[in-house]
Amino acid sequence: MKTTALCLLLATVALGAETPAADCCKEKPAAKQDACCAEKAAPKPDACCAAMETATFSKDSIYQSDVTFTDDTGRAVALGSLRGRPVMLDMFFASCGYACPLTVTDMLAIQERLPAEQRSQAVFVLVSFDTVRDTTEVLAKYRAQRGLDGQWIILRGDDDAVRELAALLGVKYKQEADGMFSHSNVVTILNREGEIVHQRQGLKGGLDEAVAALAGLAAAK
Amino acid sequence: MTISSLLRLGALALGLVAGAVPAAAQPAARMVLIPAGTYAPLLRTTKDAAQVPVAAFLLDELPVTNADFLAFVTANPKWRRSQVSGLFADSSYLEHWTGDLEPGAKAPPGAPVVRVSWFAARAYARWAGKRLPTTAEWELAAGAGYTQADGRTDEALKRDLYAWLARPVPAVQADAATARRNFHGARGLHGLVWEWVDDFNTAMVTGESRGDTGLERDLFCGAGAVGAKDTTDYAAFMRGALRSSLQAKNTTTALGFRCAKNLP
Repeated sequence: MKTTALCLLLATVALGAETPAADCCKEKPAAKQDACCAEKAAPKPDACCAAMETATFSKDSIYQSDVTFTDDTGRAVALGSLRGRPVMLDMFFASCGYACPLTVTDMLAIQERLPAEQRSQAVFVLVSFDTVRDTTEVLAKYRAQRGLDGQWIILRGDDDAVRELAALLGVKYKQEADGMFSHSNVVTILNREGEIVHQRQGLKGGLDEAVAALAGLAAAK
Repeated sequence: MTISSLLRLGALALGLVAGAVPAAAQPAARMVLIPAGTYAPLLRTTKDAAQVPVAAFLLDELPVTNADFLAFVTANPKWRRSQVSGLFADSSYLEHWTGDLEPGAKAPPGAPVVRVSWFAARAYARWAGKRLPTTAEWELAAGAGYTQADGRTDEALKRDLYAWLARPVPAVQADAATARRNFHGARGLHGLVWEWVDDFNTAMVTGESRGDTGLERDLFCGAGAVGAKDTTDYAAFMRGALRSSLQAKNTTTALGFRCAKNLP
């Protein structure tokens, strides 16, 4: 019954009103908490709880949000786990035929243009709008098709998580009747703390500014 | 007993414990059943469906009040005015309250809470074991008249609605319970405050053309022709315009919310 005890212990911690560590569980209804422990519990608390236990994020950090995602290998990723590295983040969907492929091409160009040392620090994150069709497998295939290396993190999440991240980034999106998504074209650069330092709006231009912003962050340790 | 069944037991216990505490601290809000129906978006692109089916769901009878919200901030210190992160609420969050835990004279206990952000409304809903309604759900519920399911031909409702739109926002909001019940039993969907919906940030095609959300194809993927279905529904235009103008951290003097829930 060890695991049960662990979950109960977590529950106790989570319910302590003054325990910032447990923010990720505190406000969530029972169903969420089930998922929290049931899915990934085994030897240790799940990623979202673990990240929150150790982290106090700055007041402008989007990592204060407790949403979690899953990457294209099926691993749970808390937003806060990106802390410590400069991040370039784009919301996309794999079956997008117009804007998303262009944006990914631009991000690849930006990655290429960064000086080697700074390139090794930056992380490129894609988060899908498509909670249904963009499964782990589809995202893994997307990675292969676009030749995205280990510095790219490709994420999917539930409606709740995707909507919250979009709100944090100021991205508007909407699923059309044909299943495709209309969405803002915004690429966001986050500093090591998860604070938004630059946003590239639209599809044209802005590459120099994005490279400069990202390189600046990577250089400043 | 397998590991996974142990895990489930643990999770169940966790759920029970977790469920019990908020329930004790939280005011019981009465919910009404909104039967399944269809929502016809007022503004839509050429790709949007003309009719969006909406499953039956439960909706709070009243908007969340100051008393309700006080219980929430009492239980969740990080949502108190002095402690909330600027990322999740702008500087006028609960500005009309006297203090962190004192709503005061400008925020009577029974009046709808206003000056709350989408993040705060969502956090409240989660805490209450509920969620925010979607645009389609909210509009379906609010589309009812006082005495009939279709409010479009309810002259009394239309009169009250437009009279409300013409009135300036009062310094102190009225008690929510004074609002007249609609056909489904929900009160104050019109005539009290504007209300957040979960997917407010889908309202982009009606948005202004500044920033990235205009209709220019480069700025906004999938921008299509926008067409209004019923140009007489002025109030729906206003709701659409409001939603598209908002950011998730914004708070205003007349914007509150209520919660929804799936049917068990």
